[in-house]
Amino acid sequence: MTIVRRSEGRVFLTPLVGFLLLFLGFPAIINLVYSVSTVTFETLRAPTVSGFGNYLAVLADRDFWRATSFSLRFGLLTAIAECLLGLFLAVFLAPLLTKRPVLMAPLMLPLMVAPAMVGLMYRLVLHEFAGPVPYYLFEWFGDSPAFLDINNAFWTLSVVEILQWTPFAFLLFYMAYVAVPNDIREAAALDGASGWKVLWLIELPLMLPTLVIAFFIRFIDGFRVFDNVYALTGSGAGGSTMSLSIYIYQAFFKQGAIGKAVAASVVLFLASLAALYILNWLAGRRRRS
Amino acid sequence: MMKTLRWSVFVIAVLAMNFPIIVTLVTSFKSARELSVNPGLWIGQPTIENYLRILTQTDRFNIYAYLWNSTVAALIGTGLAILLAFPAAYAIAKSDVGRRTLLPIVINLRAVPLIIFAIPLYMMYQWLGLLDTQLGLGLILTIVNIPLALVILVDAISDVPLELDEAARMDGASSWQIMTRIVRPVVRPALVTTFIFGFITAWNEFLFGLMLTTSRAVPATVGASFFFAASGGGVQWGTASAVMVLGALPPVLLGLVMYRQISGSMMAGAVKG
Repeated sequence: MTIVRRSEGRVFLTPLVGFLLLFLGFPAIINLVYSVSTVTFETLRAPTVSGFGNYLAVLADRDFWRATSFSLRFGLLTAIAECLLGLFLAVFLAPLLTKRPVLMAPLMLPLMVAPAMVGLMYRLVLHEFAGPVPYYLFEWFGDSPAFLDINNAFWTLSVVEILQWTPFAFLLFYMAYVAVPNDIREAAALDGASGWKVLWLIELPLMLPTLVIAFFIRFIDGFRVFDNVYALTGSGAGGSTMSLSIYIYQAFFKQGAIGKAVAASVVLFLASLAALYILNWLAGRRRRS
Repeated sequence: MMKTLRWSVFVIAVLAMNFPIIVTLVTSFKSARELSVNPGLWIGQPTIENYLRILTQTDRFNIYAYLWNSTVAALIGTGLAILLAFPAAYAIAKSDVGRRTLLPIVINLRAVPLIIFAIPLYMMYQWLGLLDTQLGLGLILTIVNIPLALVILVDAISDVPLELDEAARMDGASSWQIMTRIVRPVVRPALVTTFIFGFITAWNEFLFGLMLTTSRAVPATVGASFFFAASGGGVQWGTASAVMVLGALPPVLLGLVMYRQISGSMMAGAVKG
């Protein structure tokens, strides 16, 4: 464990720490300073400290709360759906996959494609003239919904996200599932437990840590979503699909409201710290028990 | 009976989850004329004219440049991440510094929305002249890749038996020599996995490509969206599909070849994170 001296260890850590301080620590300080300053693109290097006005502006902005609500709903819905679907696929397909591991490849394929590209691909898939989905819906049912209008955009985007990231949950669950020792399964079967009982009383409890972790990872990724939403709707349908990440991006690039964008960044940073704190606390409690 | 059911679920899941990829692939082999009458999933007269067009007409949108930018930036972002994370991982695994503070902080970075840092980084890049450069994009991709690289490498180096280190110490080797000559060859598979995984992640990044590049250093994910900005006659769906197929191909090929290693490292990243 301690074959390398502490002083030497510090030297080995230095490049990484230096890089992180430069690219994350320094920006974090700029964030804090600029969030309490008045600043425009003309006075970018000379912000004047002006108190908490930016924070008040963010907290009074209806769009900010709308974006927060979108991100929360989107993160929760997609994380729950991905975990349920992924769990089902992992348990139900395990007999096939353990015999033919190569079948994993097509199931993992969506994870290799950039979410932004997938967003663009759905522009084609759902396009009213060039897209196969509306085409077949018209062919078979004589009608096709407007997938990206204000009523449906949230659901469409959720399905897009779920279809791309269910493989992630599936993969974690599958690996946790096959890691359950076989003799436990067999012992339970010998005692006369049915397949359902083995799943419910033995396999799922053993997989529980992975379930919790996968849920949190997917929730966080859904909450901070940017790429596929931006590529598919660009926050469109009357701003009904603006996530918090897109809110910050647009405040900065489209409105030039630097102070507001930076203040929103700090708020988001504090929120994610709180979430991480809870997650680590849960993990720590599990380790102790 | 049960077996048929499992196969059906498998096929449906694969088709549903890969549906946009299948549609894009099919569309990329259709002519504009065919697409206007047949948006379905079969191809009447397959053609490669879409690919020929994007590969030969490069005056407005240069697909070669986008692919090249992605390659260079992803290589910087992956190579530098490993160069920084490897010695740090060695120190964390073999001494008692960094394990209690640095490692948890870096792991948790994975869960922080990076957009938080985007605005100050944009300003910083403006001062440094790094906006719209491959190097600038590569440096950000390094940040994106560091957390998982560190987790995988700490894991792998912790598994290297201490006897190896001790034996080398006896022979008078320094820590640096042990790290580069003894540990590095042993953890080679982990280094390869880190590289593959990092390259895919870096190639697929979009947000920073969008914010920090405008013309010279545009990566493929952002460049592909240019083909959707309708100009006059609307989106050329066949051309746009061909662009997306080419832009998605490198990470997909890497991923399909290395899917076993990738599933393993995803598990490591998730469980330790």
